[in-house]
Amino acid sequence: MPKQIYDVIVIGSGAGGGMAIKTLCEAGLKVCCLNAGRRLDPAKDFRNHRKPWQMTFRGFGDPAKRSESVGYMDSEWVPGVWEHEIRYTTAPGTEWTWPRCWAVGGKTNFWGRSSARFGDIDFLAASLDGYDVDWPVAYQEIAPYYSRVERMIGVSSSIQNRPSNPDGEYLPPFNLRCLDHILQKGAEKIGVPYLPDRIAQLTVDHAGHPACHFCGACTTGCDTGSFFSTPWRFLPLAEGTKNLELRTDALAKNILVDERGLANGVAYIDRKSRQEVEVYGRAVIVAATNVETARILLNSKSRHWPTGIANSSGQLGRNLCDHLYGESAYGYLPQLLGQPSFPDSVGDNTIVWMPRWQNLKDPHEEQFIRGYSVYPGGGCGEYPWYATRAEGFGSSYKREVKRRYPTPISFTLQAPSLRTDRRLRDSVRADSFSVGRKRFENVATLKAGLCRFASCGRRRGRRLRRFTERSRLEPPRYRDVPNGARSQEIRHQRFRTGSRRAELVCL
Amino acid sequence: MAGQDLQRREMLRIMATAAAASKFPGFAKWSFICSHDKSVESIRPEGYQPLFFSPSEYALVERLTELIIPNDTTPGAKEAGVSEFVDFMVARNTDKQYSMRLGISWLNAHCERLFGRTFMSLVEAQQVAVLEPLAYKAKHRAGEEDGRKFFLAIKELTVMGFYTTEIGYKEIDNPALKFHAKSPACPHVDDPGHKHLPPPKW
Repeated sequence: MPKQIYDVIVIGSGAGGGMAIKTLCEAGLKVCCLNAGRRLDPAKDFRNHRKPWQMTFRGFGDPAKRSESVGYMDSEWVPGVWEHEIRYTTAPGTEWTWPRCWAVGGKTNFWGRSSARFGDIDFLAASLDGYDVDWPVAYQEIAPYYSRVERMIGVSSSIQNRPSNPDGEYLPPFNLRCLDHILQKGAEKIGVPYLPDRIAQLTVDHAGHPACHFCGACTTGCDTGSFFSTPWRFLPLAEGTKNLELRTDALAKNILVDERGLANGVAYIDRKSRQEVEVYGRAVIVAATNVETARILLNSKSRHWPTGIANSSGQLGRNLCDHLYGESAYGYLPQLLGQPSFPDSVGDNTIVWMPRWQNLKDPHEEQFIRGYSVYPGGGCGEYPWYATRAEGFGSSYKREVKRRYPTPISFTLQAPSLRTDRRLRDSVRADSFSVGRKRFENVATLKAGLCRFASCGRRRGRRLRRFTERSRLEPPRYRDVPNGARSQEIRHQRFRTGSRRAELVCL
Repeated sequence: MAGQDLQRREMLRIMATAAAASKFPGFAKWSFICSHDKSVESIRPEGYQPLFFSPSEYALVERLTELIIPNDTTPGAKEAGVSEFVDFMVARNTDKQYSMRLGISWLNAHCERLFGRTFMSLVEAQQVAVLEPLAYKAKHRAGEEDGRKFFLAIKELTVMGFYTTEIGYKEIDNPALKFHAKSPACPHVDDPGHKHLPPPKW
């Protein structure tokens, strides 16, 4: 049998890979997609409409396996979806949780859906504040692509005229809840914007996909495809062209090169048979998330590429920044004590945002450069997490839990870390649609440490690659939800002194 | 026909729940309690066999959960079968088992010191009097750190076990997982500052 040569091999099917697959297949190219995990069945794998009492551990997860959890999304509602079989280790003395969803569609299955545009204040930030270099593109060049994607996936928001994030083509926004109105009032007083988030979730039917049913279980996947994910939106289109071959459980190992050193294929491990398989193509797109992409490239050593393919600078695998999960401050709104409950978690809290308000007029106005956004949330959640913080027991305690139910609020700050040294106080708004990874330079060097393939037959346990260097800052811990101790700026300076009614009181 | 079909499905569901419950003994009580058909409650198995605690320890744990979330105007932790959940979770968590057992011994020894009897033989007012210094910061006493830790651990598990049952959902009127045709909007359109809300419901 002559060996088949595809036009393009795409490694990964998440936000980047999914878009590549769709675009290339629609352009008539033969595409082979390698995906490290299995294909999900929303009816089986997303238990999002189940109640906690239908779970063995009531949704808290097996206590015996809690140390293995990679975060709140890795729950009983989506069993076996987050990667656990293939392990990684961290450098001694460091902590880093690496949530990997290797199912088809990757983290687009469970992502936060915030889809703001960057503006020239980001693209040309270096010219404005004198640090680093500008992006090689300006907003005007990117804007048509933003529009195209927004029309494609459906983004709900409003026209906001913010200098930090240009407006796009939006579906109607989510309605504000009681807590939003209260916080908005407070934010107004201190001149901080409080607006509907740009969220890739449908408030009306769009492009043949049904509107959201506002159940509030987005974190466990959507069974109607009402928020953007590649398995719901892009793969059916790509498969419709008959140009796609999707190989699941195909864990990319390294990129193959021809005698000139140009990529001409990929070697992967078939996780079912544990065999190494080679697939050939005229071009290779590596879209396997930043850490995995770096691993694959570093692993692709040859005569032409002794330190890994595309690593002549020696920078490959350094200065990476994984998705930022933010740090939160918590408090409660005394106005709502004892009020009837309200479905506040309808969009899993990605309803509003406080877009960057720092360093807008003068890039050196603050003690740090650039800026960050804050994502408020709260209200009647699925579980009263604040309950153990309320003092006492008995009927009065039971009543107190009930009284406080509508009141908790949180502010999640999406910035690498405000605790780092000045050199590194760059800011990042990370989302799956950010155009490049360049901006993440100098932000955080992650410690992926030694990656082991636990399942690769003969190679079991063998150290494959130490692909990051010593980290200079402690990355935010993903699971560790502190008692409002972080995000100091919001908590202490802004709200405490600025707004009496919306003051954040630590529980 | 359609109605019958629904009933049949409901029966199958309850049977499935019962099957699951028999697989996880910790769940026998609450899964029946949580089923929509309240008459099922009467046939729930009496005499739960704890997975981790000894019968006397288990009785104490059940009493503690009951004191933490009592049956007052609405059902409490005992009605929701929370002690079974506590037992189940502790049985799965080897890290917690020692401190749990230690805490129970501490509590009984403490009661012996104060009243000359174990916790379970005290009357309710005495039990409350023992727990209050553990539960309220203003009433903390020196030398009771172990007791406070134990009480907090039991309270945590009680809260976890209670508010994840149907009884717990009803208690706080949990609006989760309902479907809405439109994104639910704040009903107080004329009062964005929420300064003139109706008086607290609870």
